[in-house]
Amino acid sequence: MKKTLSCTVAALALMTSAAHAEAITVLVEGGGHSLQQAAADAFTKETGIEVNFVEVPYQGVYDKLSAEIASGTSNYDVATIDVVWNAAFAAHVEDLTDLFTDAVKADIPPALVMDANAGNKMMGMPAWANAEIVFYRKDLWEDPANQTAFKEQFGYDLAPPATWQQWRDMASFFTKDGMYGTVVIGGTSEEWMAEVLQAGSPGVILDDAGNVILDNQAHIDALENYRAPLCLDKSVPDNALEISWGEAQNLFYQGQTAMMKFWAHAYKMTPEDSEITGKVGVAPMIAGSAGIAAIPGPWYNVIPSTSQHKDAARQFISYLVAHNALGIEAPLGLAATNSAYESYMGKPGYEHFGPLMETLSAPATKGRPLSEDYQELVDEAVMPAFQGALECEDNVAELLQDAAATARDILGQ
Amino acid sequence: MADRAPHDFGKTVINAAALLLVLSYALPYVYLVSTSLKPAADVQQIPPSFFPDGVSLENFATVIGTAGLPNAFLNSAIVAILTTLLSLLIAVPAAYVSALYRRRITVLFLLFALVTRMVPAVSLGVPLFQIMKTLGLLDTTIGLVLAHTSTAVPLALLLMSAFFEGVPKELEEAARMDGCTRFGAFLHIILPLMPSGLAISALFSFIASWNEFLFALLLTSQNSKTAPIVIAEFNSVYGLAWGPMTAAAVLYSLPVILVTLLLQKQIVGGLTFGAVKG
Repeated sequence: MKKTLSCTVAALALMTSAAHAEAITVLVEGGGHSLQQAAADAFTKETGIEVNFVEVPYQGVYDKLSAEIASGTSNYDVATIDVVWNAAFAAHVEDLTDLFTDAVKADIPPALVMDANAGNKMMGMPAWANAEIVFYRKDLWEDPANQTAFKEQFGYDLAPPATWQQWRDMASFFTKDGMYGTVVIGGTSEEWMAEVLQAGSPGVILDDAGNVILDNQAHIDALENYRAPLCLDKSVPDNALEISWGEAQNLFYQGQTAMMKFWAHAYKMTPEDSEITGKVGVAPMIAGSAGIAAIPGPWYNVIPSTSQHKDAARQFISYLVAHNALGIEAPLGLAATNSAYESYMGKPGYEHFGPLMETLSAPATKGRPLSEDYQELVDEAVMPAFQGALECEDNVAELLQDAAATARDILGQ
Repeated sequence: MADRAPHDFGKTVINAAALLLVLSYALPYVYLVSTSLKPAADVQQIPPSFFPDGVSLENFATVIGTAGLPNAFLNSAIVAILTTLLSLLIAVPAAYVSALYRRRITVLFLLFALVTRMVPAVSLGVPLFQIMKTLGLLDTTIGLVLAHTSTAVPLALLLMSAFFEGVPKELEEAARMDGCTRFGAFLHIILPLMPSGLAISALFSFIASWNEFLFALLLTSQNSKTAPIVIAEFNSVYGLAWGPMTAAAVLYSLPVILVTLLLQKQIVGGLTFGAVKG
């Protein structure tokens, strides 16, 4: 009996020591590291499994993971990847279907679950997600003089914009006294793509079957609407092609625009010395005929098939999603699950979580197509048409027909 | 006085042209320094201003407080110095033999060195990664030094062989008649005549390693991460921290500027080497 007990104790001690000795390595971009550190610390405390983060620049995640996969062995047990790389890595990562229990699926916005679906497997678990929402100047919207003048001019109350038409009306209204109503971003096409979904398209660029739909009516309507503040209303700076997210954000912070559509995390990042500090309000993304929609910006935790510690990696990913709220105190302040966001609802400083959740969970919100050719499609087909349209001269339908033809060539359709 | 006027005018034109040329090279760097001195709110001012409205050192304070950056600077210095030494150790004797004992094989050797300079670094990334992994040298200083040396040696070899071509073979023969071995003649007689060539080869090898990004990204992760990687981390998916990034870049450029100034005499001598050869 004594011998059995001693053996059991020894075995348990060995097992404990082995568990303590286990460590996993996570490849992650800087911002993602800070979002996951608190949960990793709690995970280590609970399981004894050490978590080492290898932090690299944004593009380094793709380059390093590609090199690891090409070499056939891996130093990384988990990689946190941008959704835009999901298609490229889908064949080289573990199937995480078993981690997507009904409870987990119910707690994650449907668009994020869809983006993880690589056809035959669930390739990654959302770590956090972002989406563009509406940022506006509360002081301007709450100003009684503006409220009266707006109602007189447009016939309805001044409130945060909720529709395409309201967006255009308010952009026009606030284009005065050296200020523009908003901006049209011409450096990237995602904001227009969100409007494509708002217009009721079954997808952006491609439908679920992989057919090119770049020239469908929703794409055309969205592009006409997207360029209207620039080409018709003159309610935005005229150098749209030089404006990307960074410029849009800075114009807003400098008080040169009254509203913008921007990634929700920025709500907590208004510079202290900005003249609009304390004056920023947020609202869900605007709606078209299909309602609110956005292109989400989630990051996924995946397990490279070359990982040497797959079980520990699974435990870690499962723990992260169950304790998703632990990342919210990090500078980016983002999460992926509804429960994580709900746990902060109503707290001062987190007013953007409501609009973000509403946008992420909107039925028309949908990710980019899961295609390895996605970036080429954007660079070669979408951007020439999109930026051509922002010159305000060419016919949108014709530009998109050309773009669709280029896209079909790229895909061999 | 009347004779000097056209001369002065020509000189002024040349000086103005030279100044214009220097400005075209220096403007991006001046803008980098200027941006690093701008307060956070002015860094991405629209429209942008070339000079800061007020000088602020907050970006430098942020950078100095960035975890990992001092260590990355140290790693960069160690890797660049070791790469420079190793490259010269390999390339200088090889260049000497290739230049002074010209055979078909040495010509091929130099040609092959030139060809390696034409291969895009990105195509070497994965093979190097696999080699270092097999050797257990991933995320080690020596692994990165070897990778950098593999690209610095051909450059140093080509530069040094051009310098050695100007050395008369009789010099070595005279030294040997006085009792020197072939290596002794190379070491004690020929090499001391090459300060400019050595300075330029060393500087170029140093700069190539100091600024190298791709191999450092693929071959390091935590222990031997170099400064270019940490500087690039200021560009994250949700924004680019222009101020701290430019401040880090300015700090990172200082050692190279310092080395260049220290070796200025040799470098100028080397750059004009052979200029008056008929």
